[in-house]
Amino acid sequence: MDARSHGPAAVTAVGLAPRSMRRQRLGDIVFRRLTQGFAIGVLLLLGAVIAALASGSTLAFHKFGLGFLVSEAWNPVKDVFGALPAIYGTMVTALVAMLLGVPVALGIAVFLTELCPRALRRPIGVLIELLAAIPSIIYGVWGLFVLAPLLQTTLQPALIDTLGNVPVIGALFQGPPYGLGVLTAGLILAVMVLPFIAAVTRDVFLTVPAMLRESAYGMGATTAEVVRAIVLPHSRIGIVGGVMLGLGRALGETMAVTFVIGNNHHITASLLAPGTTISASLANEFTEAVSDTYTSSLIALGLILFVITFIVLACANFLLWRLSAKEGA
Amino acid sequence: MNIMNIYARRRAVNFAIMSLSLLATATGLLVLFLILWSLLRQGLPALSLAFFTQSTPAPGNIGGVMNAIYGSLVMTVVATLVGTPIGILTGTYLAEFSRGSHLAQAVRFINDILLSAPSIVIGLFVYEVMVVRMGHFSGWAGAVALAIIFVPVVVRTTENMLVLVPASLREAAVALGAPRWKVIVLVVYRAAVQGLLTGVLLAVARVAGESAPLLFTALNNQFWSTDMNAPMANLPVVIFQFALSPYADWQLLAWGGALLITLTILALNIFARLMASWSSFGK
Amino acid sequence: MTYEIRPIETSAPPRPRLIQMPAVETPKPTAPQTAEAADQAQAKVAIKDLRFYYKNYEALKGINLTLHDKRVTAFIGPSGCGKSTLLRVLNRIYELYPDQRATGQVLVDGQDILDPRQDLNLLRARIGMVFQKPTPFPMSIYDNVAFGIRLYERPSARELDERVEEALKRAALWDEVKDKLRESGLSLSGGQQQRLCIARAIAVRPEILLLDEPASALDPISTQRIEELIADLKSDYCIVIVTHNMQQAARSSDYTAFMYLGQMIEFDTTETIFTHPKERQTEDYITGRFG
Repeated sequence: MDARSHGPAAVTAVGLAPRSMRRQRLGDIVFRRLTQGFAIGVLLLLGAVIAALASGSTLAFHKFGLGFLVSEAWNPVKDVFGALPAIYGTMVTALVAMLLGVPVALGIAVFLTELCPRALRRPIGVLIELLAAIPSIIYGVWGLFVLAPLLQTTLQPALIDTLGNVPVIGALFQGPPYGLGVLTAGLILAVMVLPFIAAVTRDVFLTVPAMLRESAYGMGATTAEVVRAIVLPHSRIGIVGGVMLGLGRALGETMAVTFVIGNNHHITASLLAPGTTISASLANEFTEAVSDTYTSSLIALGLILFVITFIVLACANFLLWRLSAKEGA
Repeated sequence: MNIMNIYARRRAVNFAIMSLSLLATATGLLVLFLILWSLLRQGLPALSLAFFTQSTPAPGNIGGVMNAIYGSLVMTVVATLVGTPIGILTGTYLAEFSRGSHLAQAVRFINDILLSAPSIVIGLFVYEVMVVRMGHFSGWAGAVALAIIFVPVVVRTTENMLVLVPASLREAAVALGAPRWKVIVLVVYRAAVQGLLTGVLLAVARVAGESAPLLFTALNNQFWSTDMNAPMANLPVVIFQFALSPYADWQLLAWGGALLITLTILALNIFARLMASWSSFGK
Repeated sequence: MTYEIRPIETSAPPRPRLIQMPAVETPKPTAPQTAEAADQAQAKVAIKDLRFYYKNYEALKGINLTLHDKRVTAFIGPSGCGKSTLLRVLNRIYELYPDQRATGQVLVDGQDILDPRQDLNLLRARIGMVFQKPTPFPMSIYDNVAFGIRLYERPSARELDERVEEALKRAALWDEVKDKLRESGLSLSGGQQQRLCIARAIAVRPEILLLDEPASALDPISTQRIEELIADLKSDYCIVIVTHNMQQAARSSDYTAFMYLGQMIEFDTTETIFTHPKERQTEDYITGRFG
């Protein structure tokens, strides 16, 4: 009746226990150390990246000093280089991308959370996220062959004729309509960053408590008023975090920008002129760099870019982390 | 202004803002469809048998991108094989062993930065540590660069998925006397397997389209080559070269390659999403 | 304070211990009085001045208690009284969470399991636990039951089959699943999943069974089956059950401990607790004046 007391299982288990115990404990230690090792590896990787870039750029900084950061020169023949045009181009294209992309992204987030019929929310959300999945180089190809010619024949002449004559901002819209240039690059970047910002903003909008919304609607507020008075203030930190995330992406974007920026190491006021960014310079020129100074200057550009994006992304992640800590606690 | 006028103005403002948000969404969707439309229109004509079976030609000749497809495939596979265990184990550490600790917070923070860092800088890094040291470009260097981009994606999704596994499941396994590592490997991984797989797929989709990191690691190779220790052809760099060239037949091949990459990545993304929604969790 | 416990007579041969606990030095208990000595002959677990802390919050304030072998002891009390906390001390599952700790002594067959030298995995192999919500592992029904066995033993395939069948039969689940052992454990209904968890726990032949509100997530019919199961299992195990359902405690248990705000208010045979409790608070809770 007492089936449990029979069988060799009971006997062997006793003898087996100590050895398998030790193996189990060893397994625990090994597994833990292994995973911990890889985790530390991530930290070391970051350090390694910075170290490698720093070592590669010492030649350039040694030769040009900190003036490298503000020099406009870029002469492969004379072996003189300066980072300013590239840094300027990086900043300006990112700025244009933000100015154009953030409002559109916010609009999409508002649409998805307030206006969109429930059944369509998921599909449209997925489609917007697919925009983020399209690789950079595809945007580049499309920008070069489709968008740039389009802008050249439609938008740019229009801008030159209208805004080009306005004092002050007219300086932004001077020059022949190349099609390629800083504005085009900024436009493409805007399209590339808006899905990220829209996704983060939408997620933050969704965390607004339903009761808060309902009490505003219950007072007869219109949707726009609810968004402006309730949703946006509640989501401030998240939106800023999302925008900075987008900014980080825009700063670092390479292939799309390389195709349409025109690769010109000069600073001009006009947005319609060709220019360059750090990443575009690297992509276009790295494999052609003949001298050590040239190579080192390009690596120095890479270091500068990494530092800039690191700072932006660190702030972005910090803000988003603060937000989720507030929510999750 | 009496109340009705104020109300009319409020309604007008509301209408304007809602219309703008609708316009914004329509713009986003429009651009998506424009891009896909251009890809199909320009790229479909390129998809011939030769496209898939011949290597990249000199301008003016018939050819295909078989060597580039092969190179991209191989480097992606190597990056996946290397990056998946590293990513999953790191994510496991963050989720299972040290959830609140300072080390975990630091790793998570750095990981998220690496996730969005410019991929061209990663390419520079691998150039400095591998290509310069080896003295030549190679498929291995390209695979390593891709792996470095691969890992942060997997770390993030792994941690998120493992954290979703309910504590009661872990406790039930511990209550039977299972050592920690068996609890994780035999029970927690199995419970989260769909989520983990989704993360890997999303990472593959991300890596499959990356061009910048390959520019100065794997470089490119005009001919058919299976030697990983030499420059290796790959679709993104081929597209880069061919699209910017003045030759029409090269540009056609570039469009074809662009279409191929896009379709693959979209398929991977959609498949990963479908799998995530089939997941048995959240019941 | 000592509690008068009258042992209930049953007869059954002693079960062979499956896994030996390593010898750990524990201070000898003081010489017991004669009446107590007769009680302790069937005592399985002796809890002495147990205190439990979540960070600095004292959740259990000096618990003294005896759990008897081959009997069912129920912990009852209002929400937050500490009954689940007390249960979870018995297999030290709180060790998973760094903010939680326990002081005092918990003697299982005379050996203090709170001793830091106690191997936790070995301890948990002797003590089975079933949780409030059914937690089948994401594997087949067979693998669920075999999981614990495979951890510590190397049975042959046939032996394993026999052990799995034995456990499922004992958990009153065999007839319902014998044709679908390879199907996922998640494909069962709630009541079946809980019985699967019970089968999983008894498959390793533990000595003590801890049940944390095992039927609270189930419908009344499944609940009844679980209670019948417990009545059947008690002939072989020392069972401790936490329940917020007083009628269930009255139906199923031999001894009852009433707890309130982290303290053991009263501990006695179930009959005494429910018919003529000694403490006013116990009576108030039983009659529904609070809780």
